[in-house]
Amino acid sequence: MSERAAGSIYDLGYRRYEGRRLGRRDAVLALYIHGLRASFGLGRRTRSKIFPIGLAIVAAVPAFVQIMIASIGVDDLDIFRAEDYYGYIQVILVLFVAVVAPELLGRDARHATLPLYFSRGLSRSEYAWARYGAMTTALLSLTLLPQAIMFLGNALVGDSFTGYFSDEWKQIGPIIGSGIAISALLAAIALIIAAQTPRRAFATVGIIAPFLLLTFISSAFVFNLENLVGRLGIFLSPFGVMNGLTHWMFGASGRAGDDLMRADFAGGWYFLFALALTLVAVALLQRHYRRRSL
Amino acid sequence: MPLIETHGLTKRYPGVTALDTLDISVEPGVIGLVGANGAGKSTLIKVLLGLLPATRGTARVLDLDVRSEGREIRERVGYMPEHDCLPPDLSATEFVAHLAQVSGLPRVAARERTAETLRHVGLYEERYREMGGYSTGMKQRVKLAQALVHDPRLIFLDEPTNGLDPAGREEMLDLVKRTGRDFGIAVLMSSHLLGEIERVCDSLVVIDGGKLVRAGEVAEFTATLGSLEVEVEGDAGALAEALTGRGFEARGEGFLAHVGLNGADPYDAIRDCVVELEMGLVRLEQRRQSLEDIFRPDSPEGEADGV
Repeated sequence: MSERAAGSIYDLGYRRYEGRRLGRRDAVLALYIHGLRASFGLGRRTRSKIFPIGLAIVAAVPAFVQIMIASIGVDDLDIFRAEDYYGYIQVILVLFVAVVAPELLGRDARHATLPLYFSRGLSRSEYAWARYGAMTTALLSLTLLPQAIMFLGNALVGDSFTGYFSDEWKQIGPIIGSGIAISALLAAIALIIAAQTPRRAFATVGIIAPFLLLTFISSAFVFNLENLVGRLGIFLSPFGVMNGLTHWMFGASGRAGDDLMRADFAGGWYFLFALALTLVAVALLQRHYRRRSL
Repeated sequence: MPLIETHGLTKRYPGVTALDTLDISVEPGVIGLVGANGAGKSTLIKVLLGLLPATRGTARVLDLDVRSEGREIRERVGYMPEHDCLPPDLSATEFVAHLAQVSGLPRVAARERTAETLRHVGLYEERYREMGGYSTGMKQRVKLAQALVHDPRLIFLDEPTNGLDPAGREEMLDLVKRTGRDFGIAVLMSSHLLGEIERVCDSLVVIDGGKLVRAGEVAEFTATLGSLEVEVEGDAGALAEALTGRGFEARGEGFLAHVGLNGADPYDAIRDCVVELEMGLVRLEQRRQSLEDIFRPDSPEGEADGV
């Protein structure tokens, strides 16, 4: 009540704003940061934080286990390796995008806040880019961050920090490259699915189901058909493509008997396929918001 | 320079023509956009904002072209939609400050403007609570605040009193009036209630079925279209004829005659005619000159309420 009383004394009524107005880049940046915070439920209820932050922590568990093992002093025992990292956490990554993508796009549709954005200086395309940027950045904390933790941890607990660095510095490029490529791919696929429905539950299932189903179907192709069609089946699985491009970037080969070895494609194909898939999904997302009626 | 100008503006949906070759030109001020539900009010506002593309025709807002300068227009206007548009798990402060930033205000300025604007619309401590728990009146205030927070030159208010109780209605209308009159922000407010428009607006645009019915100053409408109700003992039809003979607009039936109040003072003429026709004059009453009377056949107020 004190504020109301104070208001009646000091209230100057409506005042014009004569201050600085920033450009569209700052408007997009504001939307991007807002989306990034929303991805982890920051500034929201505790309930909204549990899933995304919990999954981000789980995604880093292999990194910490590896550092612990390395710190015990068992040299050259890399239980968890950088090139296989996304394979360990692939289910976590899908759960994360399935939770966050509907939060980023579905909310605005569900609560009809889109007209409030589109009636401002922001364009529809900029809205979609800001959302895509936020989703990709949020994913980096599940891909790039654990990888960076593992790399630095391995270096710190080993006998010689500089020695580890000089031996392993070539991993830095692939770590960054694969982190960005996979985050950009998963974000694009999840967002174009999430844009189709305002209902959170539908969007979440709509994202998880194809990932899991395609993985089964892909394995069936690769393991049961000994011909080119069977080998091409690897491209049906987003996980297969993710792991394929990661191995290619790290210059590693698959393990005997796994999908990648059986499919036996040059690694660059996985990267090109992932790139094409990302571009198509982003283009569809842009088209969706350009055409969306309000 | 007109505030809003359209030429042959047409918006067609499959099977429905929402706006039909609309030509309007309105001057700055508080403008009422009147029509029954489904008349095309919301569609017109959305087309002017560039949220919907027009099928044909041109429109200019603040002397900017809707089609080619949509962004420039949207940077200079505010929009309060008819429907609910507030995320329930955010506080009014957070939400309005966020939208202020999206409108291009720096972070600190956005927070200050948010506090000022929410106070202006009458939201105090409640602004830190989640909006899911707000009453309809509070939600409408937040919706108005987000339209004002970046200090636009023109605001579009789509049915701002929708769902409010009579007291809330009064407060909202008062707020709209103050915003328009005292702060020099032009207002285009849609409503299906003529009474509201009459109280708040300087001019009005009446549309029906996507077509322009009338446009002009509110004062002009009410001044020229008042009428006198005359009750006589005798044939009111004969009285009306006599008055028409003297150049008045009059019609009569049974014991009641209606005489238009356009221009000349009809009181003396009525007295003279009644004496001439040897009738008894029972009652002479000026009817309430409201917009309701003018458009009653076109816009039944009751049917659309609260839908």
